[in-house]
Amino acid sequence: MERKTIGFYLKIYLKLIAQDIKSKMSYRADFIISTIGMVCTNIAGFISFWILFQNFPSVNGWTYYEMLFLYGFSLIAITPVQCLFDNNWSLRINVFSGDFIKYCFRPINIFFYYQSEIFDVKGLGQLAFGIGTLAYAWYKLALPVTALMVIKTIVFLITASLIMMAMQNAAAASCFWIENSFYLLDLAFRFKDYAKYPVTIFGPVFRFIFTFLLPIAFIAYYPSLVILRPDEVPVLSWLSPVIGIVFFYISYRIWMYGASRYSGTGS
Amino acid sequence: MRKYLTMARMGIMESLHFRLGMFVLVVGNILYLTLIYYLWKAVYASSGTDVVNGLTFKDTLIYLVLATALYSFMEMYTVWEIGRDIQSGKIVLDLLKPIEYQSYLFWSFSGSLIVHFVCVFLPTFVIVFIVTKGGIPLGMNLIWFLISVVMGVVINFCIDYIVGTICLFTESIWGINIMKQVIVLLLSGVTIPIAFFPEPFRTVVYYLPFQAVYNTPLKILLSATPTLESTGWMLLVQFFWCVVMLLISRIFWLVSLRQITVNGG
Repeated sequence: MERKTIGFYLKIYLKLIAQDIKSKMSYRADFIISTIGMVCTNIAGFISFWILFQNFPSVNGWTYYEMLFLYGFSLIAITPVQCLFDNNWSLRINVFSGDFIKYCFRPINIFFYYQSEIFDVKGLGQLAFGIGTLAYAWYKLALPVTALMVIKTIVFLITASLIMMAMQNAAAASCFWIENSFYLLDLAFRFKDYAKYPVTIFGPVFRFIFTFLLPIAFIAYYPSLVILRPDEVPVLSWLSPVIGIVFFYISYRIWMYGASRYSGTGS
Repeated sequence: MRKYLTMARMGIMESLHFRLGMFVLVVGNILYLTLIYYLWKAVYASSGTDVVNGLTFKDTLIYLVLATALYSFMEMYTVWEIGRDIQSGKIVLDLLKPIEYQSYLFWSFSGSLIVHFVCVFLPTFVIVFIVTKGGIPLGMNLIWFLISVVMGVVINFCIDYIVGTICLFTESIWGINIMKQVIVLLLSGVTIPIAFFPEPFRTVVYYLPFQAVYNTPLKILLSATPTLESTGWMLLVQFFWCVVMLLISRIFWLVSLRQITVNGG
């Protein structure tokens, strides 16, 4: 079989997404309410942040605006997983009902096809909120706006999203082996809440866990150091793009391995 | 009464069946509590004083740990259940059952409520008690606490029921549920104790039903010098919300049911 080019995949992707958005638009009320719900979540998160800092001036040497930067950063970093990989949430159901078998017969990368089917538009509200928060914190911290800084931010944002995607893919793939994998997926998803705090607040054991085993410190903390504290960037921060790619690749292999073992339900 | 107990028993068996889910729930909670512990420790360490808004680090931690345990025992995903029944059309069958839909739902959830109380809340309570070396006062407050928890469960169920009824109109579950969840979590003091809220905001929150779900039971449990008057007053307010929310949810449901079309299931 001829090797398919990126252009080919892109074309397919856009077509699939257009279909999905059309079908979503037929449930307009649901779409609008979901978007409002998403914004509500972000506002509530912001309010609890604000309340905390009404009582305490700083956390472990991190000021209000620095924490806000981390918060905005993590919000943007989890948007791709929200928008592009939302179909992971249905994987479990598809696998059990047997519907998953239909993906096995497509002459195209199964992981790619499966994830392309759904594009979650409501994540875009979160993206806007995250960018707003980040820009506000950036302005208040009087960080310089140079091309280099912006490029660095974007590169590290992509890195951070890769980690989040990796955790979601791996957790979703667990449904190929175990029943009731919803809880695992939900747990992996809830880890994002930990990402917005500097990992230094945790004790050494958890710092190790959150850096090497469940790499959530890479979702906001390590990448942000490059921007916020350019004088004291640990090696791990510079390594994070590599780590992001490695983790993503591992999760992709796990997912594909699970899919290759899938034998349908016989219905 | 027999039919209610049967449904409760079914719920118990059902939730015991999903042991892995239980395990992950516990692991997730432990991780979440670790986060809370380190975050508030760092916060208190940076503040320079031991007591903030009348709460020490220990008080705050006990409050938040127990609030989390209460939350994970009370959250029954009722909105999802109602929403799914509506979308699939199964609700038509439930409405035909010789039992009120609201009490049908409540009693079928009661089984897993009991399981979660025993498996999630009780161990947390015991661990907190041991770790803090008696940080929780034991006495009559335990009985008032249990009464208060039951009323909290009822109020929480009513909130869910009202939100679920909204699903009849919108056919949107995710959005509605997430909105409810963040509002309840924030305004009931599970995320941050209400004592930390800045002033006008705090007074407003005390006039809302949400604080009666988690804040009232915990306050009754943890109050160091309880007077019968203050406990009685809190229980009275909670009872008021119980009645009001039950009435609202019942009326809203009956009114909505008349003007609704459901997909043929």
